[in-house]
Amino acid sequence: MTTVELTFKDYKSKLKPIWCPGCGDFGVVASIYRALAAIGRPPHEVAFISGIGCSSRIPGYTTAYGFNTVHGRALPIAQGIKLANPELLVLVAGGDGDGFSIGGGHVPHAIRRNPDLTYIVMDNQIYGLTKGQLSPTSACGSKTPTSSYGSLEQPVNPLLYVLSYGAGFVAQATPANMKDMTAVIEEAIRYPGFSFVNVQSPCVTYGGDHQQVKAHKKWMKGLESLEHDPADRMAAMELASHYGEELHTGVLYRNPDPPRTYGELVRERQEALAGGLPRERILESFIQR
Amino acid sequence: MTTTSKVRGLDFANLSLLDALDLAVLVEEEAMERYGELAEQLEQHNTDEAARFFRFMEKNEAKHRAALLEQRTARFPDEPRVVRREMLFDIEAPEYDEARVFMSVRDALDTAMRAETKARAFFEGALDELEDPDVRALFVELRDEEIEHQELVQKQIDKLGDAPTADPEDYADGPVGH
Repeated sequence: MTTVELTFKDYKSKLKPIWCPGCGDFGVVASIYRALAAIGRPPHEVAFISGIGCSSRIPGYTTAYGFNTVHGRALPIAQGIKLANPELLVLVAGGDGDGFSIGGGHVPHAIRRNPDLTYIVMDNQIYGLTKGQLSPTSACGSKTPTSSYGSLEQPVNPLLYVLSYGAGFVAQATPANMKDMTAVIEEAIRYPGFSFVNVQSPCVTYGGDHQQVKAHKKWMKGLESLEHDPADRMAAMELASHYGEELHTGVLYRNPDPPRTYGELVRERQEALAGGLPRERILESFIQR
Repeated sequence: MTTTSKVRGLDFANLSLLDALDLAVLVEEEAMERYGELAEQLEQHNTDEAARFFRFMEKNEAKHRAALLEQRTARFPDEPRVVRREMLFDIEAPEYDEARVFMSVRDALDTAMRAETKARAFFEGALDELEDPDVRALFVELRDEEIEHQELVQKQIDKLGDAPTADPEDYADGPVGH
């Protein structure tokens, strides 16, 4: 692992984003560049894994390794990459549809394994790439091309979802406050274990006025100003239950005593089974039996 | 939230002239790059007139940055830089959500005006905290330059007058999620 003096420009690729002008994802990717620069891991030690959707284009816009995978499958692939190369800093990015609809079944399993990954969801409460259909986090009553008379479903609550399954680090941010978003993403990356950041990233084309950055500026509430204790999981769950009604920003929960990661446990098991053999000769321990 | 809380890790009460100059250079650099990014976004979506205006602003910010950098290099040729871009956010740079597909030149001028107003407020607000007389003098100069920029943008707005500009709603898909 290398720690060197880097700037955010070191992470910016030459590929020009094709997001709609004003898209919240511009702010998110800028915050990610800055957080990585603050951490100081060079791009060749970082891998970006994503699914499908507007926000899943992020790997192409960074100089790090990247894999724009298939819809909803970013987390299993990221876990495999992290296990195969534990030294890589692995970031997973995607939208609310990718993470909580088609990929929703992978989230709890990633959390219970606790791999050292950071999962950043750009939650715009809509399927933007396919022209504004109802997504799993769309509010009840949302009128979209797939819910002309208003949605009859309650939205998935991403914060409560990941807290319920035991995620060790859970935070929320918005591009309306770039400084805090960068700090939160940096903290999530530094957390040893599965960390989750839900970014309320507005869709400028299909989102409603109340979902835009200007509206966020009026209704966001920093958790520090509420004197929330991020070590208190039950308090975090109470705050998370207001998803959609309040825009809480900052760290909701940080496990003060992080458990060992899946990678550490796997390595320990490998060493125990290999009987002292180096990793590249581990197969011999099975052949001898 | 104080004005200077937009900058991480700097104590404005004890800000040195070297750090103040470096900060000023970086403020202009951030604005220059953001105008460039917004222009790029609009060029990508064939919103050429507004993109051209953002390119014009990018060049203006670049000139201002170069002048400040020259001043810094002349006064402190060998001093290393402590202030980093990662420490500041959106001081003069227009915000990312300002760009829109098919935005008009008038929209772009309004964006620039909001950015210049924000920058003026930053330098003005910082004056309340600064103690070093040389640093205060620099910030007064920087604030006055922002006032000049505001006047420049206002002139452009006046020149445009009531000339009809395309309504972006005529071109863009309307929001469907609400």
